[in-house]
Amino acid sequence: MAEIVFAAGAPHAPGLIGLLEAAPADVKDIVATTYRNLASAMVSANADVLIVFANDHLANSRIRAYPDFLIGMAAEHRGPFEWFKPWIGCEDYSVKGSPEIAAALFNGMTRRGIRMFAQNENLKFDDNISVPVQLTRLAELGLPMVPVLQNCTVPPIPDQHRCYAVGEALGDFIRNDLPADMRVALLGSGGLSHEPGGARYYFIDEAFDRWFLDLVASGDHARLLKELTLEKMEAAGSGGTSELLSWVVVLGAIGSRPGKSFGYTVHRDFKCGVGAVLWDMEANLPKRRAA
Amino acid sequence: MGLEKFDPALAVHDLIQDLKWSVELRAEFTANEAAVLDRYPLRPDERRAIETRNFLALYDIGLHPYLGGQLARLIFGNEAGKGATVAVNKLVESLQGKGSVA
Repeated sequence: MAEIVFAAGAPHAPGLIGLLEAAPADVKDIVATTYRNLASAMVSANADVLIVFANDHLANSRIRAYPDFLIGMAAEHRGPFEWFKPWIGCEDYSVKGSPEIAAALFNGMTRRGIRMFAQNENLKFDDNISVPVQLTRLAELGLPMVPVLQNCTVPPIPDQHRCYAVGEALGDFIRNDLPADMRVALLGSGGLSHEPGGARYYFIDEAFDRWFLDLVASGDHARLLKELTLEKMEAAGSGGTSELLSWVVVLGAIGSRPGKSFGYTVHRDFKCGVGAVLWDMEANLPKRRAA
Repeated sequence: MGLEKFDPALAVHDLIQDLKWSVELRAEFTANEAAVLDRYPLRPDERRAIETRNFLALYDIGLHPYLGGQLARLIFGNEAGKGATVAVNKLVESLQGKGSVA
């Protein structure tokens, strides 16, 4: 049975790269600490592949033919897409892909009744994939990645219940379809509160962010599914905060587990709350009998 | 201001996506915006709102806000901390009541 050995949720605001240098020292410190810890945990987990769920941001598909989930099947993932490069302020990167695992994921989710789409060509990546790749130095780690770009903003949006169910199917796929000794890392990329393109573009809902980080770190998924509604996320930043649905997919895959954060910070120029959670994949395992 | 008025049938969505996907189209848009707009089946009020940089009007007729933010960057600048900041400020100014920010 393949195993999920790393699971985390983290934001991908473009300012975390392009505007980081000009940020106050305490903000920079939390950003650096957060992504350094995530990268370190990824290395320690000795994973064979990283599957990333992230908001597509209308980067790859027409708005009237918009997939809820789009798997990148390329052998190599290059980014950022040309137009996003100056906006993010990051260098070009190339990360190894895994066409075999991407194909298995597509087929496995189809068999489980989850409609996903998949593309052989390189997907257009903006901050969704570029920020976590750059801040965790994924290219240097050599860990193959399978990106799954998700609809978090085009109505009808798959809500928290649907995304959790997709995550449960993902977990079942990993445990039962992938090779028995495979070690899988999962990342939900998106959030925290922000309102890209809205009248409240600079709005960050600190109270919501702290509530959300505490809740997902508690492992109380029943409460999460009851309270993390689309309406609540819209109120905390229309069209952006709902990226947290990518975290919900990961939570569905791993089930109830405690997690830890590496701090939370607000910086107006980022136009997004910043904080991540790393879930404890060793928790809730059956206790070993004392020798 | 959220997604209540969102109308995916509007052609402006295709215009914005084509612009961000094509260097050549962006160059043409800068040199001769009218010629580019002529190729899209825009409603008269939709076209007028684009020409007058009236994001508030565009949102009222159904532009998706995420693409509205990108349209602002296509028009006012796309570089982190520079043109992209100008674009955000112009967009917010329009949406908070000014309307046209041409």
